[in-house]
Amino acid sequence: MPGIEHQSGALAIKRLEAEQEELKEGIGRMREQLDEYQRELAANTEMLKGISAELKRQKMVAGLLAVEGAGIQVTLDDSSIQSVPATADLSTYLIHEYDLRDVVNLLWMAGSEAITVNDERIVATTSIYCVGSTVMVNDTRLSPPYLIQAVGNPVAQENILSNPAYLKEIKRKAELYGVQFKVNRTRMLTLPAYKGGFPIHYAQLGD
Amino acid sequence: MKSRSAQLSLTILCFALGLLLMAQFRTQRMTSRALLSASSAEQLAIISSLVENNARLREEMEALEEQLSEYQQATGRAMLGALVGELNKVRIINGLVEVSGSGVEVSIDGPIGVLDVQDLINELRNAGTEALAINGERLTLYSVVASTEDGAMTVNGTQLSRPYILQAIGQPEIMETALLRRGGLIATLERNYEGLAVSLISREKMVLPVYKGAIEFVYASPIE
Repeated sequence: MPGIEHQSGALAIKRLEAEQEELKEGIGRMREQLDEYQRELAANTEMLKGISAELKRQKMVAGLLAVEGAGIQVTLDDSSIQSVPATADLSTYLIHEYDLRDVVNLLWMAGSEAITVNDERIVATTSIYCVGSTVMVNDTRLSPPYLIQAVGNPVAQENILSNPAYLKEIKRKAELYGVQFKVNRTRMLTLPAYKGGFPIHYAQLGD
Repeated sequence: MKSRSAQLSLTILCFALGLLLMAQFRTQRMTSRALLSASSAEQLAIISSLVENNARLREEMEALEEQLSEYQQATGRAMLGALVGELNKVRIINGLVEVSGSGVEVSIDGPIGVLDVQDLINELRNAGTEALAINGERLTLYSVVASTEDGAMTVNGTQLSRPYILQAIGQPEIMETALLRRGGLIATLERNYEGLAVSLISREKMVLPVYKGAIEFVYASPIE
């Protein structure tokens, strides 16, 4: 009967329109929320940009970025002399961890901006020590020959290394016992970033 | 009810309300009637258009839901928090911010040389030092204890006088053990220098100042 069909048609329309209303309200609410998030992000993005730039600079200072530049290369190696006298003090024919430390410290004194020892980047927490007769840098085992590379002013670096007041023992060992100590300036060095961890558990910001 | 005029007002009020209700009821019935009086063809057209439109509205809602969930998972605020945390950690390592924490205070008075102080610093770093200062000067990666021509000790461009007081933030027990062990560095220094006065104190909290100099890069560029 046309009456009933008309009624159910009208009902269907009413239901669909109610649904439409709900959907529109939902969309309206979600758009408002999105708007809020986007406004927050925009406000934070300026801060984000600033902090990202500052973080990059701090990483540069910390040794967490690979760098390139002019500098110097220092090669240190144990003596290559085959026949060592029986009464000799063997340690004088070897490069010790303190030799590496002395060269690294002098290079910092000469204003170096980045230093590696056999590709281990020196950072604020680096210690150069030995376990038995093995040299360790950044808790990594190194063996001779030792290549120390430092980005910086090559002239200042070479001057400090050749200054007779410094590295007396290394120079003496090189002269008398064949220990190898070579220095050469270079126009372009590429030094890798530090790849270890920075465990900070006790130091906190501020007082 | 007491007065007749009050009764009359109430009656008029009720009558007015009744008229309003009737008017509203009549309007609704007219809308429904309009729907009912629309032809079947018209009704069908309205229905199909509504169905299509609602489907499109639902799609829009789904898209918005997806966007919202992305934002909820990675808001600028969360990213900001992570970055600030990382930044503060690197600042501490670099010596470019004031820090505090537990550690040890080593005081040495005697004719020790530059190499000895450098060895001490190396030993403390090996024992997990997170921040270092000597005579109140914060040490950075680029700070070196050096000696001038007349034998004076300097660091960060400042002259150091005895006693040399090293403050190292880290775990006190580990540092104490590393320095004071038999055959260790302190033992060696005491053996090499007669009359050396050395003391090591564990501290629950020390405050180390920020490095006051500038760190500039003239030769090194980061590789992008």
